[in-house]
Amino acid sequence: MTAAPTLHTDRLTLRHHRLEDFEPMATHFATDWAQYMGGPLGQEKMWLWLAAEVGSWSLLGHGSWAVDLTATGETIGQVGINKPVHFPEVEIGWLLYPGFEGHGYAFEAATAARAWAFENGHDTLVSYIDPPNARSIALAERLGAVLDKDADKPDPDDLVYRHNRRAA
Amino acid sequence: MTVTFSAPRLETERLILRAPEIGDQDVHAAFFMSERAKFVGGPTTAERAWRLLALEVGHWVLRGFGRWALEEKATGKFVGIVGNYHPVGFPEDELGWDLFDGATGKGYATEAALAARAYAYDTLGWTTLTSMIDPANTASAAVATRLGAAYDYDFTHEHFGPVQIWRHPGPDTAQRPTYYRSLP
Repeated sequence: MTAAPTLHTDRLTLRHHRLEDFEPMATHFATDWAQYMGGPLGQEKMWLWLAAEVGSWSLLGHGSWAVDLTATGETIGQVGINKPVHFPEVEIGWLLYPGFEGHGYAFEAATAARAWAFENGHDTLVSYIDPPNARSIALAERLGAVLDKDADKPDPDDLVYRHNRRAA
Repeated sequence: MTVTFSAPRLETERLILRAPEIGDQDVHAAFFMSERAKFVGGPTTAERAWRLLALEVGHWVLRGFGRWALEEKATGKFVGIVGNYHPVGFPEDELGWDLFDGATGKGYATEAALAARAYAYDTLGWTTLTSMIDPANTASAAVATRLGAAYDYDFTHEHFGPVQIWRHPGPDTAQRPTYYRSLP
């Protein structure tokens, strides 16, 4: 079985998930902080989501990484290249835990994950974003992704931002 | 750097126990999206079925143990999932079994569970095991009884609702399989 490859950026380490990632993630996902990411989620569903994104690496060759601050080892969020069966396309998604926004960490992590995907056989990725999630929309645009009004989506209300290999 | 993990391959008289694979997806989803899965949280959506399969693999990576896909030796068919399981939300380590359409009534759940239990006791060094069973699931209770387990206590699970927790005999007294071995 395969786990996520370790990636390094200037300030971050993207690594495969470990069991101890569960508790902090479940704590945040149990609150309204998770409202744009399918939450709030209970423990049972959180485990289903996290363990599935870990198992995805073996089944599909891509999945999620935990994002650590390299300097301190602190885990600040997650970035993932995922395609659960109800997603029409492979998605790049990101999340930062409360208190870590505003430092460019999500941009840095998503740039590394996207570069990894483009080097590993993906020519295009999408990001499904809830319309009120202005912070995520701003990040998608900063990443150079473009709103794709014709793309299929898992939820009719989602916005679809498209990342193309040649443009990145 | 790529990190890899492995699940041992086990062999019993009639089955190979191996890590779940992407090729298992259709058979797995067909079961969990059907009425046959009514005692194990189903019928589920396609989304939940996918996550349940991926979870089986992620469980091995996160916990270092997990459930195996059962392959019928005679046909190579993927017929069920059995093994040592502890998703968050379960009260204790559990021995679980799900047998798909056409694979029930042959003793496969018992055969595979005996091997998985022997692995838990003799290789992982566990000292006890439980099985979570829907009170209406008489077929599963019959398997548990054949394995020597007995009802222990009631539990309410976040997704399954009210269930029974059955306890297996410990390492000293639990029956071992007549034949099982690790494959290279």
